[in-house]
Parts: sequence; structure tokens; C-alpha cells
Amino acid sequence: MLWVDKYRPRTLDKVIVHDDIASNLKKLVSEQDCPHLLFYGPPGSGKKTLIMALLKQMFGPGAEKVKMENKAWKIDAGSRTIELELTTLSSTHHVELNPSDAGFQDRYIVQEIIKEMAKNRPIDTKGKKGFKVLVLNEVDKLSREAQHSLRRTMEKYSASCRLILCCNSSSKVTEAVRSRCLNIRVNAPTNDQIVKVLEFIGKKEGLQLPAGFAARIANHSNRSLRRAVLAFETCKVQQYPFTVDQGIPPLDWEQYVSEIASDIINEQSPKRLFLVRGKLYELLVNCIPPQIILKKLLSELLKKLDSELKHEICHWAAYYEHRMCLGQKAIFHIEAFVAKFMSIYKGFLIATFG
Amino acid sequence: MDIPAADELEWLESNSLLPEFEDDEEDYIVVEEDERIAGLREADRDRDAASENEIHKKRGRSEDKDDDGVDDEERGVKRREIDEGEDEDWLRYSPPPKEAAPAADETTTGSDEEKIISRFVSDIEGECVPITAPNGDRVYAKISSREVDEAQRRKIPRDKSANGLLQEPIHALINGVEQEVLNKALQESSGSPGQTKHTAIPVVTEQLWVDKYAPNSFTELLSDEQTNREVLLWLKQWDPCVFGSKIRATTDDVFSALRRHSSAHHQMLADNKFFSKQHATSSINQRHKHSNFTEREYNNLSGVSELRSKTQTLSCHPEQKVLLLCGPPGLGKTTLAHVAAKHCGYCVVEINASDERSSSTIESKILDVVQMNSVMANSKPKCLVIDEIDGALSEGKGAVEVVLKMVAAERKSSSEKEDFPLETQPGKVPLKKGKQRNTATLLRPIICICNDLYAPALRSLRQVAKVHIFVQPTTSRVVNRLKYICKKEGFKTSSVALSALAEFTECDIRSCLNTLQFLNKKKETLNFLELDSQVVGQKDMSRSAFDVWKEIFQKRKSKRRRNSMSDSSGRGDFEFLYSIISNRGEYELTMDGIHENFLRLSYHDPMMQKTVRCLDTIGVSDTLLKYIIRTQQMSFYAYQPPAVISIRNLIAQFEKPNIEWPKSLQKCRAMLLERKDAMRIWHNKISPSISRHLSVEYLVEDLISRLLHILSPPTLRPVALHLLTEREKNDLSQLVDTMVSYCITYKVSKPKTYQRIYAYGPVSDAPELSFDPTINEFVRFQDYHSDHFELSVAMKQVLVHEVEKRRILRESIGKSINPSEGSNSAVQAFPSAEKKLTVDTTKYSAAGDRSQLKVALNPGQNTANIPLNSSSKTIKSVQENGTSKRPIRTSSSFFDRFRKGSNKGSGNPGESLQKAATEERDSRPLLFKYNEGFTNAVKRPVKIRELLL
Repeated sequence: MLWVDKYRPRTLDKVIVHDDIASNLKKLVSEQDCPHLLFYGPPGSGKKTLIMALLKQMFGPGAEKVKMENKAWKIDAGSRTIELELTTLSSTHHVELNPSDAGFQDRYIVQEIIKEMAKNRPIDTKGKKGFKVLVLNEVDKLSREAQHSLRRTMEKYSASCRLILCCNSSSKVTEAVRSRCLNIRVNAPTNDQIVKVLEFIGKKEGLQLPAGFAARIANHSNRSLRRAVLAFETCKVQQYPFTVDQGIPPLDWEQYVSEIASDIINEQSPKRLFLVRGKLYELLVNCIPPQIILKKLLSELLKKLDSELKHEICHWAAYYEHRMCLGQKAIFHIEAFVAKFMSIYKGFLIATFG
Repeated sequence: MDIPAADELEWLESNSLLPEFEDDEEDYIVVEEDERIAGLREADRDRDAASENEIHKKRGRSEDKDDDGVDDEERGVKRREIDEGEDEDWLRYSPPPKEAAPAADETTTGSDEEKIISRFVSDIEGECVPITAPNGDRVYAKISSREVDEAQRRKIPRDKSANGLLQEPIHALINGVEQEVLNKALQESSGSPGQTKHTAIPVVTEQLWVDKYAPNSFTELLSDEQTNREVLLWLKQWDPCVFGSKIRATTDDVFSALRRHSSAHHQMLADNKFFSKQHATSSINQRHKHSNFTEREYNNLSGVSELRSKTQTLSCHPEQKVLLLCGPPGLGKTTLAHVAAKHCGYCVVEINASDERSSSTIESKILDVVQMNSVMANSKPKCLVIDEIDGALSEGKGAVEVVLKMVAAERKSSSEKEDFPLETQPGKVPLKKGKQRNTATLLRPIICICNDLYAPALRSLRQVAKVHIFVQPTTSRVVNRLKYICKKEGFKTSSVALSALAEFTECDIRSCLNTLQFLNKKKETLNFLELDSQVVGQKDMSRSAFDVWKEIFQKRKSKRRRNSMSDSSGRGDFEFLYSIISNRGEYELTMDGIHENFLRLSYHDPMMQKTVRCLDTIGVSDTLLKYIIRTQQMSFYAYQPPAVISIRNLIAQFEKPNIEWPKSLQKCRAMLLERKDAMRIWHNKISPSISRHLSVEYLVEDLISRLLHILSPPTLRPVALHLLTEREKNDLSQLVDTMVSYCITYKVSKPKTYQRIYAYGPVSDAPELSFDPTINEFVRFQDYHSDHFELSVAMKQVLVHEVEKRRILRESIGKSINPSEGSNSAVQAFPSAEKKLTVDTTKYSAAGDRSQLKVALNPGQNTANIPLNSSSKTIKSVQENGTSKRPIRTSSSFFDRFRKGSNKGSGNPGESLQKAATEERDSRPLLFKYNEGFTNAVKRPVKIRELLL
């Protein structure tokens, strides 16, 4: 088992990074009632870990006995029936699902399935709680229609059901839904916090950590605890005992993006753009989300850029990211950004060096 | 006996005005024709006809001279008047009143200044006929309406002679009188004579010009000669199969026929045109067929026979059994198919979009056509023409499938078929065979016709069929034909206007004819400046996607501007492109194509500004599309073509673009789905307590790169397990644990194309082991080399076994003690189990070590190739291990499970059941797979006999 899973805190007491949130949650649960919750924060900050710990706090160890179900639903939507397949993870007390898996049909999941689940009181009432919990992941990816149908559900069935929503960015969740929930912002852990966690793991594993090594990993991790722990383990596997200047192996796709960035910097022409396109396709094929590609690409490009251009480039990156969200085919927009960059950069080069 | 139709009579009248100088030529033809007819019909009657012909001719001419003294130049101008004059004249003896009126419109001007005889077809306007002189010279002679005239004239006197006293049949006369009375009455009622004519018109049941002037013979076809020829050639290749004889007795016949009756078929043509179908007896058909052999084929004959001899050695039918004709509408694909098939002596059976086209009906129909002999008297073989095969997608597919099935069936049997002597029972042999085998084989030609070659339904058909793409016929050909028809119909045009029309409709002769007929009806003349408005019902030309892209990427050489002279050229272009793009629809595809290809164009763009603008426009179009789909506001589709046009204005070049189908985006999408599926499957396999924290994005972004590092630690020495230090063992155990909890293992995969050099060299042909969910694929980018360490094969094999072992152990623990507990918590919750596990591993490792040692001893050999004696030794050791562990085993349910899981039972030689079995089957090479014991050495198929030794 990877350290990420092995040292994941299972109860709210053991939480290291967000101990303030954990203690608040504990208080919340101890008062026997709990509002709807909305966890939001960047990836790798520990939202799901908190949710799991919270569930355990609520329902005891029974919440950990989960099983996965892959169920096909048939939904009557007016004239036609829609068939959906949904994977749910459930214990006796809670159901966890990812409604945005259904793509543009997520509305039906919210309208029918979630409603169905919320309606039914938990059968097993010997537990102290009179409600069950629905955990919805990636709420920010839900379509607007789905979110609208969610808000009524939240009010109507609040007697028997609590929703815990989890998302990366609360800005993509509608006001209405947000106002019905207790919003819990889970910040990305600071480097110090990451170091603390790494040292904790090191102690548990009985490893000798050279001074500054943990800090270096934390720096590399982009403030994602998950990455930091994974990188830590990788380093351990690669070479132990640690040395101070031990290299931290880069993520492959990030490496590839930086290669693309240097391609772009080296030559600006339609031909080069074509080559870059091929590489972008490679990344997309391998399930790297286009937003992340664009972001990483921007940061790689910014590294090599003259400071007076940085502002403009950032502006255009944001512009094309916005268009990417509006459009369907991410490649068009990433490529447009690359072309825009090439054009600006080339103009800059000619202006400066003649 | 027929009654001569009104139009014939009119022909008679009008054509007698023909100039004198054609006479010499004419006589020659006449003589020929007469000879021909004499051969085939009752001779005496024809003689009579011929002689009376002359008389009649003279009479007609003298009459005409009375009628009008107008000379040729003026005649065109005054034609209308003449028409009317003539009208009155011949109405007297025009028989059926119904048909009387159309003739009013039909006048023909004799073409005087045109060339009549030439060595080249192109010199002659209108229709022509090849003529072979007795000395072998060949010329083309213009067919003037005179010839037709001859035929009619011959008919009329014959009627006369048959009827005896009266010059015309009595009922015709009565009809004529009645008509006259009617006309008079009408004239009186309406006043002006001009209007009379118009009121008379509504009685008309006019034939569509398109049908009326549809080509009836091969030479009349307007389509590209090359295509025509090849279609005919292909049909001819069926001859040995269909008609039986090796070389159908055509050649000699045809040669002689050609020599003698080179022009006869035009007479027949006249027959066909002017007489009802019932009139055409089988004998005429026969004659028709033969006489149709014309010059073109005459040239081809040598080629045909050559090809035939070539194919005959292989099989009795052409290699590609289906012909696929494709091209834009109105170029005469259907006509060609019909004419060619008829020409080769087939009876055409057509299935078009109006028929039911489900696969079962199609199949039975094809079987009918292809395998049945007609019971009818004229047992001509049938030729199937499937028209509009691309039309209805779902149903059309049925047809395509059936055809494909037949072709495939034929393929399979073709090898056997070669053995059969074809000469013994030519023609019948394949037919019978087909029935015997009960597989539907293709014994008759099938011609499929489509507009869009790249329709998805046709994809598979395209590969087996012989494809002919129709190109536009040359404008001059179309114009000539149009001119001829106009002349026949008495419609005043100029060749400039006609050529403009032809160009405007892209040589779609059907559209041209419809337009002309419409204009004729409206009594308008073709005005080539207002063509756009005059062309009625301009069809929605849906072009193929490639054409659209070509239009976008390639600038036209201002050819189109001529059509839109009144507009500014830019606007004309815009409208043209707009119509093309919007007619194509499928904006998404269009955009994809642009995106795929535009970077390869060589447009001048030093600052990348054009590229940026193009991509911006593509982006706008993309967002718009998404918006349209989301909100279902289809009206916004109207804004798609301008986006395309603006791109075109930026990057269009004069040079020919090299356009590719936009594959990469689709490929990307497909692969993405595939990868995501793989991910999801993996994700679902991982126990829920871990996978609940994972998402696909997270897996790819953060986990996989790291996981690959973690799963192949470079610190792990590829040595026997018992040689590992305590810490290394710990590491290994942890690694195995990780692999199990993430459901990763190694499996044998095919060696990749690129060669990897392993550090331990000698085992080069060993099966390569790769990760089971192929997670290493996710970091394999193009032109990228990851620095992931890879374990040696031996190490991987050890890992595979360890993982398997651990997995089974875990499952059993989870099952026996706490079924609902996830495997993750199992490890923590049950330290005792964990302990047991370590005990097991150490014990097994003892066994494993030996095999490992052996690997070390024989480094050149794969583990599977370890000599027998050593393997038997290991078996013993395993056995010992097994017995020593027996008590533990029986105590837990794990081992029961394990036995059940092993599909061949325990391999211990002491099992009595197997002994019995081996005694029985000792002689037979029974392979036995040894499954128990975790060692490499034994895990290979071993014969029981060997174990007993």
C-alpha cells in the first residue's frame, strides 16, 4: 500500500494538516445535527480525507465498510427512457457518487436518482442518526441544470438526508446551492504543513530525513499533499538512505509539457505549431485534462519569458482557457493559445533584436 | 398497324425543307437502311415503302414550296408564323386530337451551315453516326432530321398501302375534321389566333424533355467516354460467365454488322422514339442490340477480347464483381448503367430508393435476379442496378451488406471453382454450383450507383467494388446535345447562353433540360445574363467534404466571376462559398478538416498573425457549435459558414492543397475514451477503500508517474529471495503489498516493435512482462523517453507469483473472517493473518529460491526450459513444503479455495485418481499443467508419463 493511503488519517483526531477544520467538524457532529456541507479546495488538499473522517465520526466504523456498486438506471424522461450507468460507493449510512460522470445527462441523475436516494429514510434506524448522507463528488462539473435541480432536493429532503458536496472550485457551484450549505474551504497545505506530514511519515517508517530534504519535496509538490507524499515515497524507493541533494523525479507529463514549451520558444512557425499540436494530442490522449495542460504550459512558458511579456501572456492564457470552457474541442483553444504566444513572442523578438 | 403520330407528320412537313446538298450522303444511307430492312422484314413491303417514299418526298417538297417561299436565313425569324401555318396544314390529317397540340411547338430548323461529314466527332454539332465506307474509311456523318424523316415517310405510305383506298385511315380523317371544327370554334370564341394556340396547349400531355431525350444507345451517352468504355468493358467481362460461351460470337457478327449497318441503329432509334413500346417486337430488340455496336466499341473489341482472355484463365467473371458508379447528380449515371446493360444484352432490374430496401427483401431480389432464369420468352440475363445506394443510411446498408456477403461468399469459393472445367457446361456450371452450396454467389453483374462515394455506408463496399467516379462531361458536349434538343423542340437559344447554362448547372444535363423546358413553356428565351434567376429549382448540390475543403483552401482562378458579372466579385464568391458550405452541413466536420489541414498550407505568415486569427475563428465556431447544441438554437447554424469563409480569405492559396481527412482529432477522441475506460476498469478493480479517494484525473496527473517509480525500485536486487537482506525483504513485501492493493500485476505481452536491451542480456526471446493495467502506456508520449527503471524479467516473474499469492491470501482472509471488511483494513485489523502471511512467504521462498538458483545456474535458459530432473527435484521440495504446511492449510478456508481455483487439481504424483487416469492414457500424449507450488521451475506443461518415471 502506498504511503498516501497508509498514512491517511482515518479519524478527525488524527488529522494533521487541517486540524482546525477537523476540530470544527467534530464539534458539529457532536451536536447531533449537521447541515449540508460543501467542501471546496484545490486538489490534494485533503477534502475527501476530511469527508471520510467526518463520516466515521458520525457513524462509527460502519462508515468504513463500503462496497462498490455499478448499477444501471432507467429514467423516464417524457417520451424516451434514458439509460444511465452509475457507480456508487455505499455503506449502510451513506452513498457516495459522482454525478458528473453522466456528462450532459447529469440532470437526470440529480433529478431522479439522487431524489430517489434522498427520499428513502435509512432502513437501518438503530443507528443514532436519523439521516443518511449523500456524498457528491465533483459538483463543480455538474451542469447548471443539474445544479438547479439539486437545490430543491436539498431543501425538500433535508429531514432524512444530508448532502456533502465536494468540488475544486466553489465559483462553479451556483449561489443557490452554496447558500444552502455550510461552506468549508480546504486550503492547500502550506509547505510547512507538508513538511510536518512528511516528517511524521518518516518517523513512522523509521527513515532518516536529512535536513531540508522534506522542504525540498514540499517545494516541488506544488502544495499538494498527495504529490508530496508520493514524491517522498518515490525518493525512498529510488535511493535510501537519502542524500541532501537527491533528485526528485519529475512527473512525466510535466516533463513533456516543458519539452513542448521549449519547442515553442525555439521556433515560431505554422510548421512548429503543427508539431506542437501532435504533442498536445499525445497529452490529451493520455487523459491529462486540458485545463491543466494549459496551466502547466503557461507556467513553463513564463519561466523562460521576458518579464514585460508575462502580463500579456497570462491575459491570453486566461482568455483561451475561458474559450476552452465554452467550447467543446480543447485542442483548438490550446493551439490557439500557442499560436498567440508564438505571434507575440516573435513580434517581441523582432522588436528587440531586429 | 400504327397510326402515324402527329409529330411525325410534322417532321415530315418541316424536314422536307432540307437543303439539297445533303442528298448524296442521304441516298447512301437510305440504300443501306433499305437493305437492312429488307433482310429482316418482309422484303416486298419495304420495297413498296421505299419506292413510295420517293414519291411522297417529292409531293411533300412541292407542298412546302407552296407553303413558304422563305429562305433559310429568314426562316428562323419567322418560324413562329410558319409553325402556325403548318399547324393548320397538317392538322387536317393529324389523327389523335390529344397529340395534336404538342406538335405545335415542335419545329425544327434545318441546320445548313453545319458540317455534315467529318473524320472527327468534335467537328459535328449534334448527333452523328459513324459510317464505314466499303474501302474501310470511317467518317462521322451528321444525323440530320432527314433520316428520321425517311423512316417516317416510309411508314406512312405503308399505312396507306395497307388501308387501301383512303390516303389516311378513316378515323384519322374524322378526328382531323373534328379537331378542325374544335379549333375553329375556339378561335371564334377567343378572337385572336395567337391565343388560340395557347388555349390549345393545355390539352397537351407533354413528355418531360429529360425522358424524351434520354439516350437510348451507347453512342448517345453524354458522360465521359473513358468511363463509358470502362463500364462497358466491365460488363463485357461478365460475358463468359453469363452467356456461357468463351467468346461470344460477337466479334465476327459485330464486325460484319458494323460494316453493313453502321447507321441502322439510328433508324431504330427513331423507331423507339416515335413509336410506342409495344410496337418494338423482340426482333427489333435483337436488331437494336446488334446495331448498337458502334465505333467506340469496335475500337474496344480488341481490348475486350484481350482482357477476356486474361480473366478467363482465372475465373469466369471479372475480378471485382460489383461496379460502383458515383458522381454528382445529373451526369447520367443511371442512364449509363441502363444503356450499357441493355447494350450488352441484359435485362435491367433496378432497385432504387423508392423500393423497400431491407436486407431480406434485397437479398431475395438479388437472388431472383442473379440466380434465376427467367421463364419468360425473352430469357435475357438480368443485370441488377441498385440506384441511390447511399441514399437511406440504415436501409441502404442492408443492400450493401447483402452485396458484400455475396461477394465474400464468392471469394471463398473461388479457389475451388477454378478446378471446375468451364468448357463442359458453360454458363450453367456456376449457376448450379451456387444452388448446391446454398450460398448466394454472385453470377450476374451488379451496378451500384451513388452520389457520395464517401458515405459511411459504402465504406466496405468501396473496397470490393470497381469504382468509377463520374466527372463532368465537357461543356461542349452538353451544349451540343442541348442545342440539338432545342432545335428539335424549336426553342430559340444561342450557344453562348447554353454554355453559360451548362456551366452554371455544372453540366448537370437534367437540370439544364428542365430549365429549358420550363422556359420554353413560359415562352421565354434563355437569357444568359439572368441565368441565376432563370434556372428554376437550382438543386442543393451537396458536395463531398473534400470538395468543400478544396474550395476553402484553393483560390479559384476567377472562373466563377463570369457568372456573377453584375455583382462585385467578392460578393459572388461569398455567396457561392456560403451555399457550398451550408449545403454540405456538417460544420463540425468542415471545421475539423480545416483545423487538420490549414497548417500545412504554405500561406505567407511571418508573424503568425494569420494563424492566430484562423485559430481564433475556429475557436469561435467551436464555441458556437457547443452553444447551439446546448441550447438547441439551430438557427445559429447560419453563422457557421461565414467563419469558414473568413478563414478562407486568410489562407486560401492558388496551389492545389493536399487535403487529408481529419483523423487525428477522432483518433484522439477514440483513444482517450479507450484510455479512460482502461482507467475506469482499473479504478473499479481497486478496493473501494482506496479507490474512493482516487479519480481518473488524479490517477493520471499525480499517481502514475510516481507509481511507476515505486513499482520498479532500482534497489531491488534480482537475486534469489533468500539472499535478500531483512530490509530488502521488507521492501519487497511492501512492494507486493502495494501492487496487490492497487491491483497491479505483470502479464505476458507481445514484444514491442522497438527492442529493449536488458541488462542481463542472454534471455532475449523471453516473453516480455508488462504491467497488467497497462499503466506504463500513460507516460509513453511521442518523442519522449521517461527515465523509469524497469525491472528484469526474472524479478518480474517473482513479483507476479508473490502478488498472486498475496492476493489469494488476502481474499481468503477477507472472506473467512470478515467478508464485508475491505482488504485495506484487513491488513491492519488482522495482524495474525499478516503474521501467517510472512510465515508463508518465508516457506515458499525456500521453494522459490531453488528455482531461482537454477535460473542462476542456467542463465542461458528460460525458466520454462529447465531440465526435467531439476524440476522433479523442485517438485519434491515443494511437496515437502506442502506436507510440512499441511496442518496450517487444512485449518483455513484459503486452501480449499485454492484447490478449487486450480483448474486441474493438485499435481502431486501421489494422487490416486490421476494415477488411474495415467495408467489408462499412458500411451496418449496427455499434457498436464502443474499448478500448485509457487515456483517457476515446475510451472510448465509436463507429461504425466514423465512425472511417473
